[in-house]
Amino acid sequence: MAVTGASWLAASAPAPVYPAVGADGLAAVEALSLHPAVSLQASPRHASLLLVCGRIREADRPALRRLHDQLPHPRATLWWRTEPVPGFPAASCVGDDRADAVRAVWRRLATGALGSEADLLPDEPPAPWRGKGDHGQGGEGMTGGKPYGRPMAMTDEDCRDGLALDAYTARLGPFLPILPPGLRLELTIQGDAIQSARVPSPPYPQAGSDDPLRCIARLLPLLGLAGLAERFRRAAQGRAPDLGAPDLGALGRALRRSGALYAIPPGLGGFAGEDLRARLRRWWAQAEGADLRAPPGEGCLADLLPGLEWSEAMLVANSFEPEILMRLCRAGPGDGDGS
Amino acid sequence: MSAAAGLALLFGVMAVGAWLAAALDRAALALAAGRRPAAAMLVAPWRQGAIHLLRQRIRTERPDAMNGLLAPACYLLLAAAGMSVVPFAPGLVVADLDAGIVLWGACEALTVVVVFLHGWSANAPLPLIGGYRYVAIGLPAMLLSMFVLIAAALPAQSLSVSAIVESQASVWNAVRQPPGLVLFLMLGLSLTLRGPFDYADAADLAGGTSAEASGPAQAAWQVARLAMLVSVSAMTAAVFLGGYHGPWLPGPAWMLLKMIVVLAVLAAATHMFARLPPARMLTLLWTLLLPLSFLVLALVGAEVLLWS
Amino acid sequence: MELKDLAFLALAAAAAWTGWRVFRTDSMVRASFALMLSFIAVGAIMLLLAAPYIGIATVFMMAVEMMVMALFMVMFMMNPAGLNPMRMVHQNGLAAAAGAGTFAALTAAILLSDLPADPVDPARPVIHDLGIELLGKSMLIFETAGITLLATMVGAVILSSRSGRYGPADDGALPPPLTPGGRPAGGLPEDGP
Repeated sequence: MAVTGASWLAASAPAPVYPAVGADGLAAVEALSLHPAVSLQASPRHASLLLVCGRIREADRPALRRLHDQLPHPRATLWWRTEPVPGFPAASCVGDDRADAVRAVWRRLATGALGSEADLLPDEPPAPWRGKGDHGQGGEGMTGGKPYGRPMAMTDEDCRDGLALDAYTARLGPFLPILPPGLRLELTIQGDAIQSARVPSPPYPQAGSDDPLRCIARLLPLLGLAGLAERFRRAAQGRAPDLGAPDLGALGRALRRSGALYAIPPGLGGFAGEDLRARLRRWWAQAEGADLRAPPGEGCLADLLPGLEWSEAMLVANSFEPEILMRLCRAGPGDGDGS
Repeated sequence: MSAAAGLALLFGVMAVGAWLAAALDRAALALAAGRRPAAAMLVAPWRQGAIHLLRQRIRTERPDAMNGLLAPACYLLLAAAGMSVVPFAPGLVVADLDAGIVLWGACEALTVVVVFLHGWSANAPLPLIGGYRYVAIGLPAMLLSMFVLIAAALPAQSLSVSAIVESQASVWNAVRQPPGLVLFLMLGLSLTLRGPFDYADAADLAGGTSAEASGPAQAAWQVARLAMLVSVSAMTAAVFLGGYHGPWLPGPAWMLLKMIVVLAVLAAATHMFARLPPARMLTLLWTLLLPLSFLVLALVGAEVLLWS
Repeated sequence: MELKDLAFLALAAAAAWTGWRVFRTDSMVRASFALMLSFIAVGAIMLLLAAPYIGIATVFMMAVEMMVMALFMVMFMMNPAGLNPMRMVHQNGLAAAAGAGTFAALTAAILLSDLPADPVDPARPVIHDLGIELLGKSMLIFETAGITLLATMVGAVILSSRSGRYGPADDGALPPPLTPGGRPAGGLPEDGP
């Protein structure tokens, strides 16, 4: 009885969805985020539905499988604007851009009418333990070999203030919501500062997502302003070529009052003569109707990130329009997997 | 009052307060997003809790399981311990310690430890970054609160929270040291991982210390955060807003009313202000806010010396 | 046996056990926080000894200190979680012998000395008396100790930071030249002493 009560409560809640955005899928996902019956989650562990929206590169399919297995049970997968990737369980809902379809799947999943999807990959470490001796307890010197193929962290030279800390290399995947969709980054972090960066694959092209209000709305959640970002997205949604501009006065006041411009450090992410603050101001001016264009410039995202701290790096990665970011990533060390 | 009754009252206030705080948080988010708050927001926390309880609890590879269990439990206990020194009426306090604000300070320090352990226990990069980033900001923020609490203890000539409330019979501490109230509210945001001080569970770390927590573990952590919010608002109401003093209504009613006001202010501040990157926030804390708290302490000390 | 005596025995056992766990666990972060728990038990014992301010302040300070120590473990040690099976102790035989010897000596000192046994009057304002003592007769000691500690910390950070007086410290700080564009006054490190 308690179980059915809880599942009834859960079914009436907004559907917790984790979006895996592919090519040209960002606009649909941003429109979905405004719907009250759906709640987009930041981490796959907090979601029950994996929404794949847009065509996925062949090279990103293994990442998508790993992502699917990271969602806790009960889980289901939805496919929008793309064919289901082979190997996934028989798709329960392949519709396009309909929030009520998402809600229907969530209701069935929460009440138990829809069974949870099984794991796609075996639940084992990717590399077995390797160490000398019967139990791997031996090794050269003090250490006992490389457990599960991961070498232990050693201190490394630092480019910022001379404090040599342990270096850690993280690979941030193609479907991380804090990065533009499709962008892979390989960052070597010491403490919180990034020592070196590499861009193995560029972000997906996103048609219809370069509206300046949308660009600002992508930056604001990284500053903790989720509500204001939703307001900007709603304003961008409601804007049509023949209608008048949305209430930009109130939006501008809210933006200034939140201190977002002050929060961004001056001189951060300088590219083509513009730092992050200047880009934010330019986007706001474009939203108000000024005919400004992004200044031309060549560069590489991998050169902009070293020396920055994590949150600053995330701000910089999200501070470019989609086409400019693709140009920045294409010029980089592109021994990536192509498209 | 008897210990059992006191503890029952404490947990009752914390439970109802946590529910109200969750609803106020959703309402503040709705207002920031340009929507109107709906009555359904009172039910929404229960719905979200049901989702968490029905979800599988994920176990990452080689986690620190003991600390993963202890972190939310200790967070909740620290919230309870902090609130146990707050009087709801003359004599209505669970633990009337002579060094009440020192106990509150110890709870703040242990909160930083608990949040770090929550990030550490998952054995994953994003939670760990959230954990140690929070330590860098949480420790100086704690120092701020200690100075303003000492400034609140000066007119009362005692470290006990009951005596501090008694000393506000004529004038509230919020009037004696207005910047002190603002600084203490900032500390409240830091202790509960909210808004401009949310360096631990931030969106730019995909959930930070909670990124790998799912199911009942996640529910426990969120409940503990809300309980700490209730505890912080109780302390703010007692130390800065005159506690149970007020006309017409009985003491506990005034206390609850003031707590609700502080909850609403903290919920609004969560969604209104931008979060500075940690280096910038550190500079702000050490070069502007800490000297400000020293100044507040000196001014209150001068006022007590000259006019008492 | 009163409740206070039972509480003292339980807290003392907790302090000793968590102190032993510091050295038995492989995880350095757990070791730091086990040490913190040991100190918390000692702080609670001080509450029993009618020193509430000192007891709670001990907990407060130790929480902050052990947090910073755990952070340093994560920053600098190659194996902070003890997940790699390596020997996490050095010279443990000598250390165990030294510890046992110190324990025996301290126990002998405690059992053979004549400790006072007069209980504190519950109505006594101990915090007030502590304050008067700290800022009265003992002010010189505490204030000079505080300033000395602060100066030491500031000096250590300055000495270890990269920005030297005339340039990056690991380039070898050089005094400026006497004429613009000339040789650095006082010579270069390569010239020898």
